[in-house]
Amino acid sequence: MWNTISFGEACVEPAIKQFLAPCQERCPINEDIQRTNVLISLLPKDLQQAKEGLTQIGDYLFENNPFFPVCGYVCGICELGCNYQSKGGSIRRRLLKRFVSDYYLDHLDKKQEYDVVKDTGNVAVVGGGPGGLMCAFHLSKKGYKVTIFEGSGRLGGALWLIPHYRLPKIVLQRVIENMLRVAGIEVKYNSKLGEGNLSLDKLRKDGYKAVFIAKGTPSPRVLTFGRDLVDNLDLEGVMYGQTFLYEVSRGILAKDYVGGKMVIVIGGGNVAFDVARSARRLGGDVTLVALECSDKSSKDCIPADYEEIRGAWEEGIRMIYSRGVSKILGEEGRFTGIVSPKCISVFDKEGRFNPQFDIEDAITVNGDVLIITVGQGPDWAFLQREGLLDNQRRLAVDPLTLQSHTKEWVFLGGDVRRVGFMVDAMREGREAAVSIERYLKGLDIKAGRKRQFEPFEIPQLKDEDYRSEPEVVWIPADRRLNFQLFEQGFSLEEAIEEAKRCLYCGPCVSCRACVSVGIQDDLPTVVIHENLCSGCGICVSSCHYSAAHLKEVGGSLVAATDMFRCKACGVCVPSCPAGARELIGSDMQKRIAEVYASL
Amino acid sequence: MEFIPKLVCFSCKFGWGYLNSNGYDRQIKNLIPVICIGKVDTTHIIGAFKEGADGLLILGCPDGQCHFKTGNYQARKRILLLHNILKEFGIEPGRLKIALNIDPEGTRIPIIIEEMKTEVGSLGPLSSTV
Repeated sequence: MWNTISFGEACVEPAIKQFLAPCQERCPINEDIQRTNVLISLLPKDLQQAKEGLTQIGDYLFENNPFFPVCGYVCGICELGCNYQSKGGSIRRRLLKRFVSDYYLDHLDKKQEYDVVKDTGNVAVVGGGPGGLMCAFHLSKKGYKVTIFEGSGRLGGALWLIPHYRLPKIVLQRVIENMLRVAGIEVKYNSKLGEGNLSLDKLRKDGYKAVFIAKGTPSPRVLTFGRDLVDNLDLEGVMYGQTFLYEVSRGILAKDYVGGKMVIVIGGGNVAFDVARSARRLGGDVTLVALECSDKSSKDCIPADYEEIRGAWEEGIRMIYSRGVSKILGEEGRFTGIVSPKCISVFDKEGRFNPQFDIEDAITVNGDVLIITVGQGPDWAFLQREGLLDNQRRLAVDPLTLQSHTKEWVFLGGDVRRVGFMVDAMREGREAAVSIERYLKGLDIKAGRKRQFEPFEIPQLKDEDYRSEPEVVWIPADRRLNFQLFEQGFSLEEAIEEAKRCLYCGPCVSCRACVSVGIQDDLPTVVIHENLCSGCGICVSSCHYSAAHLKEVGGSLVAATDMFRCKACGVCVPSCPAGARELIGSDMQKRIAEVYASL
Repeated sequence: MEFIPKLVCFSCKFGWGYLNSNGYDRQIKNLIPVICIGKVDTTHIIGAFKEGADGLLILGCPDGQCHFKTGNYQARKRILLLHNILKEFGIEPGRLKIALNIDPEGTRIPIIIEEMKTEVGSLGPLSSTV
């Protein structure tokens, strides 16, 4: 079995303009996707042997992204960037990662704690969601003593609101517990900043040199029609989606709250679909009312993922598109239905959310329970109190470094800054960790931070050379109306096949998997003997990856190779009529000479 | 004395023997691991016969499984064309063989080489010079 532990790290350097595989460019934390795909494709077919390799792949991913087992269940943003997308379906990277995580979790429970002396300074992280945990993890690794102040009794934040049929509870629990244990992070539960005597100034007095605030978005957005709040929000049977998901995950929702009832869910985001599908699983007869239309190519399209919509449709959830809510109806304090006018446009010309309705065309939808899931926002009152807002009542924070403009020792990130996916919050946590380290060491906080990555285009194959995506098996709708995982993962054989389908678009420097496995000693590089080069440009036309180009040196043209694009295929070497190009680091020629001499 | 043919073998590192980490490539005589058999040039093949090899074996990945997408196809194409040319030189096509398969442990490489040895052995030493 190969051993990747000690050598061959992928090199993703944020300071230089660099090309990346399009999936890696798409991933907010630029995970080494191509590298792990190559490693999975090189696993042995025997499961016992493969486990050793899977542990190595997992350990590698864990260093940068301790949340990767969770990503394997819920993320998959990288698949949107895949070059294969229009050629037979994206590489199922999410399921590949889930496959790694399924075998890695057992090893994670036994993983050694990091041997770091924590004496570089105290840092407080407010909020234990993905952003806060990521920041704490990366700072702890560097020797900072990090304390997380978590408002509730458990860590994970909004990740707990993901229904268990998508993300099993046990996976999330194990990942968080092990992350805390391995990195040695301290947690103070039930300590909400802004409540009691816990304030930013108190943290400062207690010796915390920097604070990262990632409190997320605890306040649900209220339902409005035009500029006014919709009445009757306090009726019995009206609830916010976030509260609903929280109560479902905690198991404290009354059993007959939705069971056997007509449930109306308002909203068209992924969270609304989580709510609708959870309510359906609890026995409700669910209707989803979304402002947006179903046409994914329209500017007013529904923001939820196609897979969510397909899943909901299969499970028998009625969907009403392009309709809003103008009135909430009630009788004797109980909710009975909504009046729903036609929505003719959701976003205005500037792309701002500004829905227009046709009041004439309104229908009444009857129901027993209303669940409102139209977004959520941060706790503005708290931010105002602590003086973290600017004159226009917006968050005063540098988007690049996440440093607060008003208090230089405070950093803000995650959903509190901008609502996004889990991995967006994780990225901000990681960026904040870099900022905090630079701030505490007195370094320039901005230097070289701007990321410049470009997706790498590869030469297209012939159509018949593309292979179609594997079928992802979902448990049939009539048997999946419970909170068990409904999507089946890959077996070892399927995972290897799928990883082989990957086109490995990215340049070699950002992958280096072959070096780690020992297939090559190092990446070969092309050197140009400039005294031999005549600048004819034949190499430029022979290069598949547009790496060879001509540059002007002292008034004449000379060939050069862009090392970020070069894949060291060596095509340019024999193409050069003057023999000015040479591939260095490849032992093939030497070995051939040796063998031929011995004949 | 019995004739023992001299063989040269090119093997793709992605498909053959990468899991055998204790130096299999040095144990098998005249084995040249290459990153992809697409890199094996006609000059390499003809050079081997020129230097005195009696047979040449190329081990690559199956169709559609090349790490570089079409390397195995390029090699196969090259060998098909070479077979025709080699005939003109009086070199039997049986002396140049390509096998496309996957064997990460590399355990089957010696077996395939043995098979090829008996085949080339029956052809006798290479009489023609390139």
